[in-house]
Amino acid sequence: MCDNCGCDVPAARIIEVGERLLADNRHAAEHNREHFARSRVIAVNLMGTPGAGKTALLEATISATRGKWRVAVIEGDQATRRDADRIRAVGAPSIQVETGLGCHLDAAQVHHALDHLSLEDADFVFIENVGNLVCPALFDLGEHLRTVVTSTAEGTDKPLKYAPMFRAADIVVLNKTDLLPHVPFDLPQWRGYLRGINPNARVCQTSATTGAGIAEWIVELASMRASHLQPSQRPA
Amino acid sequence: MHEVSVARELLSAVERHAGDAFARVRSVRVSVGSASGVAPRALEHAFRALSADGAMSAATLEIELVRARSRCFNCGAVFEFDGLIDACPGCGAFGGEILSGVELRLESIEVGDV
Repeated sequence: MCDNCGCDVPAARIIEVGERLLADNRHAAEHNREHFARSRVIAVNLMGTPGAGKTALLEATISATRGKWRVAVIEGDQATRRDADRIRAVGAPSIQVETGLGCHLDAAQVHHALDHLSLEDADFVFIENVGNLVCPALFDLGEHLRTVVTSTAEGTDKPLKYAPMFRAADIVVLNKTDLLPHVPFDLPQWRGYLRGINPNARVCQTSATTGAGIAEWIVELASMRASHLQPSQRPA
Repeated sequence: MHEVSVARELLSAVERHAGDAFARVRSVRVSVGSASGVAPRALEHAFRALSADGAMSAATLEIELVRARSRCFNCGAVFEFDGLIDACPGCGAFGGEILSGVELRLESIEVGDV
């Protein structure tokens, strides 16, 4: 019976919560973070447009750092194991997560994938997310670095159209710079748009096909790795 | 489509907080920032679909949409907007530092007494 007027509608009470959503994902991401820290491996969440060249960038990165870095890769796609096969073909261990109807990777999927990948032998683990400029932005995977890969074959205004994704990035890679003479991509305008959305993002311009800019991208990764592995060690 | 994942987590959070009263949940109140990247209608649809056959099939979802606030990167003006991004009303530039409007929060749960 209701407390106010004695009518038949049962009384109700309010449970105040005030909790951020996606707590389960954050919990799994925290596990992943501990796992990465224990193994002293730097985890890079590689997000971006389908066809921007995420896998090609990884192939180029693995080839360019062979003998220097040990790289492992978690590949996320809706279907097929083709990307994991491509990574293994250039000599790096790789595990494929097929998300089926899922439009993004979540921390639990990465956690399961880590069971099948030895991180003790790795300096970097790249997590290639499902190609999608919307959904992956929302899901913490426990990574150290969030990288968004986009390309000159796309519109100049992508940072404005997909603001949450570009806001989430530590590094933005503009790939396919070899196409610049052939496409109507306005590089200064693109940089201006990106600066407005995310002034702190580092920018790398690459062509995974010709190898241009790959060295600078690797320098960027190396400096991020150094800053994560040696936190605040200042001389006395 | 990521709203399905958000709704699944929402139901799990409601179950965790409501405990024994889970089957008597009448309504769930969440706040969603306009720049969070979650579409309220898609979230509601996913919530309905995922709760349809369970103990919470009668519960309603109340979504409070929070307007975003941004500081223009160009002229420094602070302004409010709906959606993911908007032009600064002062200078017309797009983008800036998001001050609020990316929140996704389970605020409260209303449960009927036995």
